[in-house]
Amino acid sequence: MKEGTLDRPTFETIEAYVLERMPQNERAAFELRLATDADLRAEVDLERENIQAVELGGVMRLLNDVAREERIREQKNHGGLRYLKYAAVLAAVASGIIWWVTRPSLNEALYAEQFVPDPGLPVAMGTTNNIDFADAMVAYKLGHYAEARAKWTALHERMKANDTLDYYLASAWLADGNPKQAIPLLKPLVDRPASAFHHRAQWYLFLAFVHDGRTSEARTLGLEHDATYGERVRAILAQLPG
Amino acid sequence: MAQLDTGTRPEQDTAWLDGLRRNDPVLMRSLYKTHFPAIRQFVLQNSGRPSDAQDIFQEAVIVLWMSAKEGRLTMGTENGPGGFLFRVAKNKWLDVVRSAAHKHMRVVHNDQVLGPTSDAPDDIEDRIARLRGVYEKLDDKCRAILDQFYYERKDLATIAASMGVEEESIRTIKYRCMMKLRAFRSAIRGENSEAS
Repeated sequence: MKEGTLDRPTFETIEAYVLERMPQNERAAFELRLATDADLRAEVDLERENIQAVELGGVMRLLNDVAREERIREQKNHGGLRYLKYAAVLAAVASGIIWWVTRPSLNEALYAEQFVPDPGLPVAMGTTNNIDFADAMVAYKLGHYAEARAKWTALHERMKANDTLDYYLASAWLADGNPKQAIPLLKPLVDRPASAFHHRAQWYLFLAFVHDGRTSEARTLGLEHDATYGERVRAILAQLPG
Repeated sequence: MAQLDTGTRPEQDTAWLDGLRRNDPVLMRSLYKTHFPAIRQFVLQNSGRPSDAQDIFQEAVIVLWMSAKEGRLTMGTENGPGGFLFRVAKNKWLDVVRSAAHKHMRVVHNDQVLGPTSDAPDDIEDRIARLRGVYEKLDDKCRAILDQFYYERKDLATIAASMGVEEESIRTIKYRCMMKLRAFRSAIRGENSEAS
């Protein structure tokens, strides 16, 4: 290898040979020179290695770029998963809080355990009023309690005092999970021992009081020794404080 | 342009070799996607960190690239570069694990090759280290032009247009930059011969 700078034409000739851009005929002639010129061989080796050094720099830069891109991608994925984990924890905590706040009280739980909706009356067609009543009863039996209440309420306004209507209106409220609305309808029936619905009204009023936490009022109904409901009433009262 | 395939489909069994020789960036990225996970798993299972796995993988790819450039990859090329990359990466990591700084590490996957292998002969490692040193001598202007011409294989007219200068200027700068490298190499050679 010569000392000092290599002239530009020689440099570019070697470059064309190393990069395989030399025409075939020139290449053959160049290789003939290479076979006999040790200095030229040394120059070719050196230039090949210098070009390779530049290429290596490019490869290293590309690999660094790819690694950086992958790290960013993984961090994004990991970040997403981390946020998902946080979201899951938050959701679990929120669910816990919601459950805690809305969890049924002991009274509500006892009510739910014991309450069974009245099965309703057989639907019988007859008078005009009975048709309306029967229509509402069909809705009640289908579980359409609001519709049943609306129809019975309309009848109730026309007929005023009617034990059957009071009882089934109360039953529709109870079945819809609203015992508070049932209480004023059930009380008159409980106060009238002669009513056909008196006995069942006692039981449902008892349950409605229990649901609303009015345990002392539930006790005053005196159902602990009732042949039909006594056992269940005692079991409920045994679990309630006071 | 090489296909993304770096696996074992017969119709493309050496496309990856051509891609390596041409510095094909698509192929380089596909190497990463296809073969990095296995190497990362090996390094992580053997007391390494994710950054260690990145470094080892990059070194293995450079050995692969260098071997392809020098025509050393002849056997088993139809099976793709995965086996070669894994062996090189594994031996490199085992060397790290054996080193004094990592004696506390526990190797769980050292059931195969334990010594230096013919996949990554020492002279390639030495040459890579030397070439890195040469490249580091280049200033940013020289790197910008030489990278585009020799690594990206762009022609002078394209480089000149992208940099807003005459083609002849790029040709001259390229020549001067390469002469700087030549002078640097001459200086190193002189130091070595004086030392010996």
